Amino acid sequence: MKLSFYPGCSLEGMANDYGRSITHAFSDLDIELVEIDDWSCCGSTAAHSLSEAMSVALPARNLAAAGKMGLDLVTPCAMCFNRLRFSQQALERELYDVPWEVDGDLRVHDMTRYMASEAMLRRIRNRVKRPLEGLKVICYYGCQMVRPPKITGYTDFENPQTMDHIMQALGARVRDWSYKSTCCGASIGIGRRDIRDSLSHRILDKARQTGADAVVVSCPLCQANLDTVQEDGAGRPLPIFYFTELMQLAFREPAGDDWFGTHLTDPRPLLRARGLV
Amino acid sequence: MKQPDPPTAAGTERRVIGERGNLFPARLQGETGVDVGACYQCERCTNACPVAGYMDIKPHQVIRYAQLGWRRELMHSVTIWVCLSCEMCTTYCPNEIDVAEVINHLRNMAARSTITPREEDLAAFHHVFLHELQRFGRVNEFWLMAAYNRRLSILKNKLRDGSLVADMRLGVSLWRRGRLKLVPHRSRAIQEIRRLYRKKGIT
Repeated sequence: MKLSFYPGCSLEGMANDYGRSITHAFSDLDIELVEIDDWSCCGSTAAHSLSEAMSVALPARNLAAAGKMGLDLVTPCAMCFNRLRFSQQALERELYDVPWEVDGDLRVHDMTRYMASEAMLRRIRNRVKRPLEGLKVICYYGCQMVRPPKITGYTDFENPQTMDHIMQALGARVRDWSYKSTCCGASIGIGRRDIRDSLSHRILDKARQTGADAVVVSCPLCQANLDTVQEDGAGRPLPIFYFTELMQLAFREPAGDDWFGTHLTDPRPLLRARGLV
Repeated sequence: MKQPDPPTAAGTERRVIGERGNLFPARLQGETGVDVGACYQCERCTNACPVAGYMDIKPHQVIRYAQLGWRRELMHSVTIWVCLSCEMCTTYCPNEIDVAEVINHLRNMAARSTITPREEDLAAFHHVFLHELQRFGRVNEFWLMAAYNRRLSILKNKLRDGSLVADMRLGVSLWRRGRLKLVPHRSRAIQEIRRLYRKKGIT
């Protein structure tokens, strides 16, 4: 099985551990990811905020390149996914003119939903060598992957389940909570740290109240916010995992704990306590 | 015959509906496809908004202001810059008004105008981001933050409140963990992207 892959800028820098774990997880599942040749940035919030025309045009270049490959497109970053879908829909309605030919039928998946299909879950269950028994996790989805439903295609946007299903397939104990898709503050922390801190701390407080050991995310910015905001040392440390990291942990024995060292909130004490590394 | 002005409470200035008040909603609808006239002020958007507390004009008021054509107030507001585009308002509007799109459109309008943004740092970040994007074709976090912190207005504030030191400390600890890519990737498509910038009037 082959998919075209749009990693997004974060996966080259802050979230390179996410990138690595995706490579491992997909190769374990016998899926080949073909990176879009010479992809460029989707413009993210900035293009959208300053010029909507740009926010349609920038992803269009990548959509055109993916269209030529003739494969389904999968992207791990929530923002990239949202922008690619948005651009595709805007171009379908012929609201904007772009210098690239975009295929309206190209299927753009966010990685979690792709992984949470019945067939993929079966594949995941078969691959698990070391079930994550005893690990209590909650899944945090953030905004851009699930909202607005018209663009993302989520029908359960109030209580998304994709990552919950994946974690159950890995054998983890998944807890339910109400802050699955509450905003963590995104890039606002750069200009207004006070807002980011209050939003991210609220999510972490609620996460601690559920009694969970760790939070599972799929968005590089959510991970960065929830991880760095814990630097002040308030409250019980709560490791923030990418869902693919836990897949790698369940698939590989020995998994090697070197890549967990990239987190600011060190998850190794927790994993050791649960006998997982 | 000209209608007399309606009476106003003593001491309060009578607010005139924008001179093109009745045209602004139509313009908005033309440009964004959003019908602000459908709003009946149930305040569901404001109740859903995670940053309403930081806004001077709350989301439901934004829609009301738009109906009245009060563009000046909207373009000068904190709201348009503090909005996170998290799309809660849009998702929960019972009348399917795309509130986030309206706020974003106002932000686009303000960015194109000569108005000084009320949240200069937040606006500056967006500009720096787009500038970095056309330099390399992709955005590198290290170069992005360096370019942002280099801006004089931001550097001054950050030196004053000591957050520059905290930023650098965070940078070092991220670098130690291998999370910073110091050498940016240069996309082969830079020329293509720069052409796009020129066409769309962004530099």
